[in-house]
Amino acid sequence: MLKKDLLELCLLQLLAGGDKYGYEVLTPLRTAFPDTQESAIYALLRGLGKEKLTEWYMAPGGGGPNRKYYKLTPAGQARLEELRSDWRHMRDAIVSFGVE
Amino acid sequence: MGKLKNLTQAQYLAKFSRAVRWRLPPQEAEEAISDYRELIFQEERDESKLVEELGEPVQAAHLLTDVKTYRQWLKVFAVLALGLFLLAKWDFMGHSSFYLSSYDQWWYPVWVMAIGLPLSLYWFRRHGQKNGPLSKGLLLSLGTVLALGVVIMAWTWHVTDPAFLDYYAGFGGIPWHITLQRYLITYGGTACALAALPGLVLAKCYDRRWLALYTLALTAAAMCGFVIFIFKSMDLSVAIRGSIQAYIFARIIPIGAVGLVGTGVALC
Repeated sequence: MLKKDLLELCLLQLLAGGDKYGYEVLTPLRTAFPDTQESAIYALLRGLGKEKLTEWYMAPGGGGPNRKYYKLTPAGQARLEELRSDWRHMRDAIVSFGVE
Repeated sequence: MGKLKNLTQAQYLAKFSRAVRWRLPPQEAEEAISDYRELIFQEERDESKLVEELGEPVQAAHLLTDVKTYRQWLKVFAVLALGLFLLAKWDFMGHSSFYLSSYDQWWYPVWVMAIGLPLSLYWFRRHGQKNGPLSKGLLLSLGTVLALGVVIMAWTWHVTDPAFLDYYAGFGGIPWHITLQRYLITYGGTACALAALPGLVLAKCYDRRWLALYTLALTAAAMCGFVIFIFKSMDLSVAIRGSIQAYIFARIIPIGAVGLVGTGVALC
């Protein structure tokens, strides 16, 4: 798995936990991957939307103006399962080499 | 890695908007700008860390760019902009520096139009996007270029009238009508060639219908260039004086008609 796939896995996993607006998605991912800038994560998020793995809708947010909320589509859920499976295989392979 | 330059939220958004409008189709660009506006103006956002967290605005735009389409656009823009530069230079100087074939050089401006019109229409019909209602600025610009073109051609019609030329042939010197026509066609043609460039840029960045400004201004500049080259090589002998008006207008009316059709297509 490449770093991009790991980012995608984490992003889809975040959205599987509930609909989130942009800043809510980008901030935890930047914290987890400090050498990745938010613009790269946003580009990934946008790419997922183009592939119909996520959708968005506008909704009121925190008393301020409407925010764009992102949600997972069924195709996104399937992609998440696929990435989870890949991750488990990779993790098991690494552990088999004695890496803890 | 060098120290990142700090930008205010407004500066960041402005720089990002310019970069993204140049690289992405208009609707996609507006979406990205709207998303970045939301991200940048978050209450929790620390302005002093904006570039550090989000990355350089141009780099952020680059990440959203379809590189293949963008490179195609740069090539198309380079060809169209070079054509306009040559047209402006020829209209202003009254001659071409190129002698590429045995064709008379007054056709050179028409060659630029023959390449620029189909290429730009093809590219923008395929990759450009409409964006909202027709802009008043566009209508005003089209009206201005059209009015300028009509005035120049009407004056050219007047000064190439055989009766007018015969009347002044007996006098020494150049009548003021001809001097005015030379100024109108030289500066008007150059201005039209230059006005076509913003049409091209605005068609890419905001709404593809701005291409109509490019096509109309290109047509006007090409017609002016055609007439300038003919006037430069004209010998006002009796035989020429009787047929120059018919000769010029039999050629520039079809050029203008093609340009108007192209302008209509660009607006649709």
